[in-house]
Amino acid sequence: MVIDLSPFYGAGTPFDRLFESLWPSMAISQRSMAYPPLNIGEDDENIYVSCEIPGMDIADLDLTLTDSSLVIKGERKGVKGKYYRQERPTGFFQRVVNIQAAVARERVTASMRDGVLDVVLPKSDESRPKKISIEAV
Amino acid sequence: MTDNAVKAEERRLPRVKPATDIIEKEDGFYIYVDMPGVSKETLVIDLNEDELKVIGKADYQMVEGRKLGHVEFGGGEYFRSFTVSHIVDKERIKATLKDGVLELYLPRQEKVQPRKIEIQAG
Repeated sequence: MVIDLSPFYGAGTPFDRLFESLWPSMAISQRSMAYPPLNIGEDDENIYVSCEIPGMDIADLDLTLTDSSLVIKGERKGVKGKYYRQERPTGFFQRVVNIQAAVARERVTASMRDGVLDVVLPKSDESRPKKISIEAV
Repeated sequence: MTDNAVKAEERRLPRVKPATDIIEKEDGFYIYVDMPGVSKETLVIDLNEDELKVIGKADYQMVEGRKLGHVEFGGGEYFRSFTVSHIVDKERIKATLKDGVLELYLPRQEKVQPRKIEIQAG
């Protein structure tokens, strides 16, 4: 089973990796590199992709699952008015997560809570490790 | 002992300055604060004279047996304070938290009617 957990954007260069290995806590400061920030994790059953997108309704988000990737797309709309300070990003965003494992597509679920999107991608039976018993002769 | 553990837990969360928009509209000022992962229960809004403080905690629990492969965000303690101008009606400040965005509405004070002073002839 091979799972490539690297996203489309991210710490790709060897220098970044070296930097991260020296200061593991620095990994979180990738925050500003791409929007929206996302975490990718897995356990024996599922792959988990979670994403911080405050202020978005799940209906306005466009989630696409292709053979090898999950695409999160959407638009954050700004409010009209006289701005004294603007720090929150607006506009279109898109992130692509490469998934190199067989996923049971019909059982993929996504939920949104307090501005955090959670996508659960169940691994299909083929991608789960199987034990082969060896019989003694 | 347990008290210490709680304190250590609190210290672990990094302090984050949340992204904020401040907008003026005809009916008053609107402040939008991005606080993903903060629920209504963990949000504290404090108004002390002219200082408006917003504190929220996002604590993502690690699930047993789950490995994180790539991390770009984590929990944090959001903290931001604002100075409220005297033209804001402090009694009618309204706050709504929806989908991880806090909206603060600071209405303008009703204009004090200018008073005419009559001059009496002596």
